[in-house]
Order: sequence, then structure tokens, then C-alpha cells
Amino acid sequence: MDNSRAVPVFDRALVARYDVDGPRYTSYPTAPHFAGDVGETSLRRAILDSNEEPIPREISAYVHLPFCLSPCFYCGCSRIITRDRTRIGGYLARLYREIETVSVLFARDRSLAQLHFGGGTPNFLDADQLVELIDALGRHFTFSRRADREFCVEIDPRFCDGDYARRIAEAGINRLSIGVQDFDPDVQRAVNRVQSIEQTREVMLGAREAGVRSINLDLIYGLPRQTTDSFARTLEAVIALHPERIAAYGYAHLPERFPAQRQIDKFELPDASTRLGLLQLAVERLTAAGYRYIGVDHFALPGDDLSRAADAGTLHRNFQGYSTHAACDLAGFGMSAISHVGDTYSQNARDLPGYYGALDQGHLPAVRGLHLSDDDRLRADAIQQLMCAGTLDIAAFETRHLVYFGTYFQRSLEALRPLAADGLVECTPERITVTPRGQFLLRNIAMCFDAYLGAANGPVRYSRAV
Amino acid sequence: MGQVTLQGRMQAPNPIADDGDEEHFCSTCAFGSVCLGSGVDKVALHDLHCLVEHVGAYRTGDAIFRTGERFNAIYAVRAGAVKTRLVDLEGRELVLGFHLPGELIGLDAIDPETYPCDAIALGEVEVCRFSFPALATLATRAPSIQLELFRRMSRDIGNAALLAGDYSADERLAAFLIVLGKRYADRGFPVHTLTLAMSRGDIANYLRLAAETVSRVLRRFQDRGLIHVDGRHVTIAKPAELFDLARPILQR
Repeated sequence: MDNSRAVPVFDRALVARYDVDGPRYTSYPTAPHFAGDVGETSLRRAILDSNEEPIPREISAYVHLPFCLSPCFYCGCSRIITRDRTRIGGYLARLYREIETVSVLFARDRSLAQLHFGGGTPNFLDADQLVELIDALGRHFTFSRRADREFCVEIDPRFCDGDYARRIAEAGINRLSIGVQDFDPDVQRAVNRVQSIEQTREVMLGAREAGVRSINLDLIYGLPRQTTDSFARTLEAVIALHPERIAAYGYAHLPERFPAQRQIDKFELPDASTRLGLLQLAVERLTAAGYRYIGVDHFALPGDDLSRAADAGTLHRNFQGYSTHAACDLAGFGMSAISHVGDTYSQNARDLPGYYGALDQGHLPAVRGLHLSDDDRLRADAIQQLMCAGTLDIAAFETRHLVYFGTYFQRSLEALRPLAADGLVECTPERITVTPRGQFLLRNIAMCFDAYLGAANGPVRYSRAV
Repeated sequence: MGQVTLQGRMQAPNPIADDGDEEHFCSTCAFGSVCLGSGVDKVALHDLHCLVEHVGAYRTGDAIFRTGERFNAIYAVRAGAVKTRLVDLEGRELVLGFHLPGELIGLDAIDPETYPCDAIALGEVEVCRFSFPALATLATRAPSIQLELFRRMSRDIGNAALLAGDYSADERLAAFLIVLGKRYADRGFPVHTLTLAMSRGDIANYLRLAAETVSRVLRRFQDRGLIHVDGRHVTIAKPAELFDLARPILQR
């Protein structure tokens, strides 16, 4: 009955047919819909309110470290390229101030169960600086002492070594997410990121020796000069490194939005058919090597927490993709970081002058965001169910939200009908279930529940669904 | 903005929502039981209706009345929940109680002729205002209404004494949930599913516990399968076992 546990089936013709632009639903509504009417006051109130639930949620903290030593041409993140390492001093001063100001708003008995350092390049900080930052967070928040806490750092192995990994592991980090993208030298030159397998392995070894129990490697398919042959070699090398998790993202070429991408020669990009072939190859090779497809871009070994959460039906989708910690309140620190507390999303200023200016004047740097409406909450739940559990129990949903599902989601169900006819989902009066073939088209299924799509709200460009 | 679909919404389980008419009170009216069975004459019922005024909506933190204001009316909660509290000279709050739909507030002001506490809305609140001089006059004509008033006053005093003894945090919280559940159920709300309108801090203050203790005990109840907590919604999964915990308080 429960198809979500069946082995996903990659149906190339079907996936090709559903290759359209769409959000990745790391949040609903998605960040482009944030507006300027939500800021510091809303964030403060949301945190104080969240303390007043009978059992307040645990805290998840995201810390954005935007600096990079060199530009990777594919990147669409909020980052600042500089070789001047001293610039981090001014940034850290503001970051500490932000952490001090926000942490006191959270009730002290709420433990921090999840910590993620993203970038940019978090290891733009030297080991002393990063360890001090982790320690400071530990003084201002109550770190969870449970074994299932997830404390993760994104690592660029070109500027890291085994000793660095050991140092941060000793400070409490138990997960790393290491950027690889592709090991092929030709592809690496085309995207300005030359990185050896040895550098990657050294960081992994150091981390493992220090007790890091889960390492993720990021791959990107659809990069310039990638061929199925070259990508097959990359996959082989990645599998040999034996990371617990692998993320394979599709490259989104949006040079009008991300200036760095203008360095990429679009005539070197693989065509749609090759791109699909690369994804298919990744799915086949990773599955054959024992990895399990979790959903949208993510794979994990069966013993990893992510796979266990998938089995237990406790997966949760958040800005990092998938996570094992459901229903935390998210506190975002640093330039462009997003907080999600209760029903409020808020995002910090996305440039350094805005971020520094607010904190220097004694304010929190939240400048835009969104209060979830009832409708947003309902749709977010439906999308979360389908993308994480692979199934939506209609009676349970109706009880949770006091709606008649068939009436409320009439348009969504109509939009789902062709997807059901194509075998992506099964719709019965009792439940909607993603089929094994639909597992690779979760975004398309979720789009049927997105009230913002097609709304006259200005053009929002998303990456392709595949 | 997301396109908001109102179609398909179920009626929220709030039995207070209907307004009543000449012959029937709102279904959870504070005085509903007066008419049921006891045969209040139609004239008295009509008179009672005439002196009732629907007031609100109040929003979180709004005062329905404040300490020291001249007493001129009692109130019945129609929708939402109200807390009564004292604030001392240092600004410290002491929560006296919570009042749910169908329950009366302001009864303890009859004697001093000024309100002895603040009544503060928790969430969106609607109330019925009964002008007291008019109600008192009516009560002399309709003994059943007078009787109901006396019963309410003594029950209020009983509730206040409920948590004054030397009880453990587990006993206090179990009793709190059981009593709250019973009060909601008496008014026609779903049995064993509560929405806590009051904040964690208010619950802690009322039970004379630390806020962290409230959460720790609730989490323990949840781990033992006695309750399930989802945001502000609490489901009592094992009412008999929870009652056992509360027994020292409830069966004093």
C-alpha cells in the first residue's frame, strides 16, 4: 500500500516530458515572494510568541559566511569574492552582535538541535575563528546533547585539510557537506574550480577520524563540458570515497540573475538530452552502489540518519534540502540568512552595507519576509507531506486543518489529473500517493499545490525541474 | 499574495458561534442551564435577553475590565478565553484563573463594587455583558437566575482553591489539563482535545511553576503517551491515567 518505500523508477521519457521550470520548495511560499513589510519587529514578536507554546520547538540555527577566495562560475549563492582574509573581522563582529541580540529572545530551555554553517565558504574562516564561533553559539544557546543533533559545516576542500576538519569536529561538528561538483579537470577549469580527489579525501579522513558520522558530497550535473563518460568517472570516484550522503543538483543557467554565470560559455553546456542522461546516470550508478534516493537531488546510504528518517516518515524539507529534524524554529544569522519562526519568515539584508548598517545602529538586520496565511500553511503542509512522506492522508489532513480536501483543493486535484494519468501519482478518496515513477518529479507534483504559480506577481525565474 | 480559497473550510468546533434568539440562548450561554428544565418563564427569559449586550471582539492583551474600575456588569465569555490576574507594585503578574466560553467573569466584584483584578483577552475574545443593576433586579423576580448566580460564585471560589495545596508539578499539570478538558467538554467542545489559548508563561504562573517545568512535565506526559502536543493543541490520549495522576488534587 505504501508506495513511498518502493524503489523509485527513473522513467527517462516521462522525466523529459515534465522538464519545466519550477521551485525546489525548500520553503513554501518560496523566498521570491518575501516582501518588505516583515522585518525586525515581526521577527522579535515571532520569537517571543514561539516561547509561549506549551512545549516550545527546538531551535535550528543557520549561519551564513558569505566570503569566498575565488569565484566558482556556476554559483547562485549570496557570496562575496575577496582574497583579503582580514575582511572577516568586521563581519564576525556584526555576526556576534546579531547572535547576542537574537539568542536572548529565545527561552533558555529550548535546545539547539541543528546547526548549519553555509556560504559562501564557511572555511574562509580559519579553524580558530570557526571553533570560536561554534563555542560562542554554545554559550548563547543551549546545545542539544542528544546523539541525533545535526551540526554541519559546508566545506570547500581546496582551502581545508584534515587538521581543520579534526579541529571543528572536536568543537562539536558531526556532519560535513563538501563541495565537489565534478572531478573532471576539463569541467573544473570551465567552472573555475580545480580540486583534486586527494584534497577531498584528506578532509574526509580527518573528519572521520574525529568522529564525524555523516559526510555529504555535492555534485552538479549540466555543467559545461560534462559528458556522460566524464560524469561516469566522477561518480565512480565519488562512490569510492564512500560519503554517507550525495546531493546531485541540476545546474541552473540564469546569467541575468547570477553575474558569475556570464563567465560560462553557454555553447559548452550539455543539451537537454545529455543533461537528462547525466541525471539518469547518477541515479543508476548511485542506486547500484547502494545509495537510496531520498527525494529532489538527494541520496543517502541506508544506515544514514536521512534514510532512517525517510523510513520512519519523519523527513523534513528545509532550506538545506532534506533534514531529519522536523518542526524546529529556524534562526538565520548573517547576510541574507533566512529565519523561520512560527508562521513568520524573515530574511536579513542581502548586502554587507545593509547587514552592517542595521546592526551598527542597534537593530536586527531582517528586512523582508512573509507571514504565512492560513492558505499558505495548508499548502505548505500538503507539499511537505508529498515531498517528504511521498503520501498524503486526506482524512488526517482534513482533521488537522478543518477543510474538506476535495473542495478546498479542487483546482490542485484537477491539475494533478494529467499527472495521475501519466502514472506520477495515485489519487484515491483516501490518499494521494507518489508512485515510484513520480519520485523523480516531486517538484512537478508540488507545483499543483502552489497558489503563487501563474499569479500576476511579476516574473520569478526558477531553475528547471530536472 | 497567495490566492486564498475560502471554499472547503469546515466550521470550527466552536459551539458558541450561534447567537440564540428570543426563546433560546446561545448554546453555551452562562445562563443556558437556568432555562433548561427549570422552566424560567418566557418573560424573564426575554428580560434577560434585553439586558445582554454582545461586546468584542477583543484582541490579545486587551482588557475587558481593570482592577479598581467601578463594578457595573458581569461578563460571560462567548468566544476565546480570558485570564484574570493581579499586577503588584513591582509590575509582577499573578494569574488568578482562565475563563472559557460560557463562563462568567466579574462575579467577585459584586461585594467590593470595584473589579478586584484585570480581565485580559487571550487571543480573539467576544463576551456578553450583563448590566449588573438590571440583572440583580431580574434575579429578585426569577429565583432560578439568582440561584445560578450563587452557584457560579461558589464554584469560582472552589476553582481558585484547587491549586493552592502542596502538590507536585506532575499533579498540578495533570489536574490542570483534566479540569480544562472537562470545562471545554461541558460546553460542547470536543472531548479530550484542547486548544490552549493561554501562553506557557501564563500556565506556569497560574500553577506556580517555572515555565521550563511546565514544558518538561508536558514532554514527559507526551513521552509516556498520556497526551499528544502539537503547537497549542493538546490531545489527551489516556484520560484515565492522567486522572490518576491528578487524583490527589481532584479528589481532595
